Amino acid sequence: MALVKLVIRILALVGKEITEVLRRPGAVLSLVLGPFLILAVFGLGYQGFKKDLTAIVILQPSSPFPQDAQSYKDLGVRGITVVQVTADRASAEAQLRSDQVDVVIIPPADPIADIKAGHQAELTVVTNVADPVAVNYTGFMADTLASTVNREIYKLGAKEGENYAITIGGEDLSNVPPDVIASPTKATLVNLNPTPPTIVGFYGPAALALVLQHMAVTLIALSIVRERSGGSLDRFRASPMRANEVVIGKVLAFGILGGGIAALSVWLLVSFLGVPLLGAPGVLALVIGMLLVASLGLGLLISVVSDSERQAVQLSLLTLLASMFFSGFVLRIEEFQPAVQAGAYLLPVTHGITLMQEIMLGGSIVHGWQLLALGVIAAVLLAVSWALLYREMRPE
Amino acid sequence: MPRRPGRNVAAVASRAGRCLRAIGREPPSRGHQPTREEPVIESQVAVRLAGVTRRFNDTIAVEDLDLEIPGGSVVGVVGPSGSGKTTTIRMITGSLAPTAGKVQVLGDDPRSFHGRTRERIGYMPQLFSLYPDLTVAENVDFAAAVYGLVFFRRWRRRRAVLELVDLWSVRRRRAGKLSGGMKRRLELAAALVHEPDLLILDEPTAGIDPILRRTVWDEIHRLRDAGVTSIVTTQYVTEAEECNEVALISGGRLIAFGPPEQLRRDALGGDVVEVTMSGLYDATGLARPDGVRGIRQTGPKTFELVVDDAGTATAEAVQSMSASGGEVESVREIRPTFEDVFAHLVERDRASRAADPDDAAYEAEEGDRPRDPDAPPEPYTPRAASGRDEVE
Repeated sequence: MALVKLVIRILALVGKEITEVLRRPGAVLSLVLGPFLILAVFGLGYQGFKKDLTAIVILQPSSPFPQDAQSYKDLGVRGITVVQVTADRASAEAQLRSDQVDVVIIPPADPIADIKAGHQAELTVVTNVADPVAVNYTGFMADTLASTVNREIYKLGAKEGENYAITIGGEDLSNVPPDVIASPTKATLVNLNPTPPTIVGFYGPAALALVLQHMAVTLIALSIVRERSGGSLDRFRASPMRANEVVIGKVLAFGILGGGIAALSVWLLVSFLGVPLLGAPGVLALVIGMLLVASLGLGLLISVVSDSERQAVQLSLLTLLASMFFSGFVLRIEEFQPAVQAGAYLLPVTHGITLMQEIMLGGSIVHGWQLLALGVIAAVLLAVSWALLYREMRPE
Repeated sequence: MPRRPGRNVAAVASRAGRCLRAIGREPPSRGHQPTREEPVIESQVAVRLAGVTRRFNDTIAVEDLDLEIPGGSVVGVVGPSGSGKTTTIRMITGSLAPTAGKVQVLGDDPRSFHGRTRERIGYMPQLFSLYPDLTVAENVDFAAAVYGLVFFRRWRRRRAVLELVDLWSVRRRRAGKLSGGMKRRLELAAALVHEPDLLILDEPTAGIDPILRRTVWDEIHRLRDAGVTSIVTTQYVTEAEECNEVALISGGRLIAFGPPEQLRRDALGGDVVEVTMSGLYDATGLARPDGVRGIRQTGPKTFELVVDDAGTATAEAVQSMSASGGEVESVREIRPTFEDVFAHLVERDRASRAADPDDAAYEAEEGDRPRDPDAPPEPYTPRAASGRDEVE
């Protein structure tokens, strides 16, 4: 009989939570359609390539380099578009500071003399950005520019040498085109991934994992805080409702809700945004289920340490922010210090993103330990939250 | 308000027996002696607080409270705002643990209530704690499920309690859309739905109209007759008359406990009789006949007698006045409102505490005058003549 009553209480909580959420159509709509719409806008709006950097080239009239911008366009340097060639460096840098151009390129005054003198000719690229990613990108573009210039020099040399018998190891290479001599090797990329990488395909599962974690954390955290501030926990203290029943009931309720929303979101991702689902749907459901349970454990923990709705919301948002930075959603986890990496693996979404991307885009789980980690995180968070809630529901 | 007869010991014992049978326990037979294994608290006592103190940091909310609430009775807990009523209630429900002393509810320690004990308690908090997004019926259904009621019983009880509190017609309305009074009624329905043996109601009649208040009290009386013990806090002190026992708490201390009539007599030092003479009469020099505890001149022709029992002492007093040459025009018993009675008791307690040099916790308020606690009660001074509840 005690077991029957326990089940009745848990089911009552499940029904109550689901009813309360469904009574707020706006919340339901934003929960279901929000992630899908964001992904849709992202997929349709993201162009997938960077805009060329606009550049001014500083050249003295005596320079051996071309004095017109068109010549540089013809050179085909990837990622950089020369818009002006001038000898006035101060004016060019003024335009750079006022954000009219992205870079100012200062070629060596006499590159041939530098090379003949036995040292590298220096090509200077000046930029004015605070964004570290943009600085890295500009540096990468400067290297590309230098490579292109080098290649042009090789080509020039090779062309001039066509009239000479060029032999290497006795082989006659006079028939080899200057392009091949200048760039004797080229890279061909072969991707073993079953599906061609796309922005929406890659970020779709990751965004879904992030949204599911945030939804689960927020819903359950606010639910418990509201029970407390509304006096229901006080009422529970005087009733047979126990902390473990509250935990099970809430986790079941929001797990069911989250599961439904996840199923709908996956369907929308696959059907409308073309995100592949190569793995078994059952395995994906298992991963999503574990991600939800672990996230609900995190939300429970937030709820028992928060003394107000505002604090619960703040902690939920901080969790979201931490997840954005450290989960591998934006930056690769390997790029962080080992200690930070360890912290990142404490977040359920870190494992959720990897596993969901592996199942949906790769067809199977590669990092099986992350499934285990997700289970351990869920168990630990639920146990700690239950212990704290149990203590809270004891007489003060 | 109708006068409720005082409770006698036999009636209490009878009700206590009914209460115990209703909760599945047999009352002890005559000559029964408790064994060492049995709880210290007698089974007739539903709730006992022994030397209970509750502190919040440096503030003493409840101090050395001793209270025994008989099973099957309605006990009113009244007192000024902030007097410790809700703290006491929360210690009884197990929400708060006492800093010192012992609380026992239905033979169980609230700090570690057994599940079965919790199922026998119905609690209605002071503030609305149900769910605004659920309908009236869903809220009651949830409350019933919390107590483990299976579906059919839940359905039956839901209808019964909603009809009782007159909310059946709005059962599909969301609780958040109810008026303040309706919310209180919904809370009451949620507390009653599982048919508890002990009902703890924190201000159940606050904010509801007098007609419905009457219904609520009728239901509490009906539950009492069925053996249910009710502990009711109320801001309407006149409702004390609805209770079998009244606990008056002030400054965290129990300053009076007993049947309403007894408290009235305690406050005034006895029954109060107003005597009107046909002519001018000076009562100050009148010798006190047997049963008369005090005489107070209230007008040229009127004075009040404080007597042990208005029924027996009045005739003797009239006889004595006639013998001294006075002609009695009318005699009537004055029944002050409970508001006056409690104000008198609280003021007397304050004065007593102010006079007690050992009572360090008490801080005398402006206007408090030290008074000898052993002195006889001061004459009754009605706060508002219009508020008198007079009986000819």
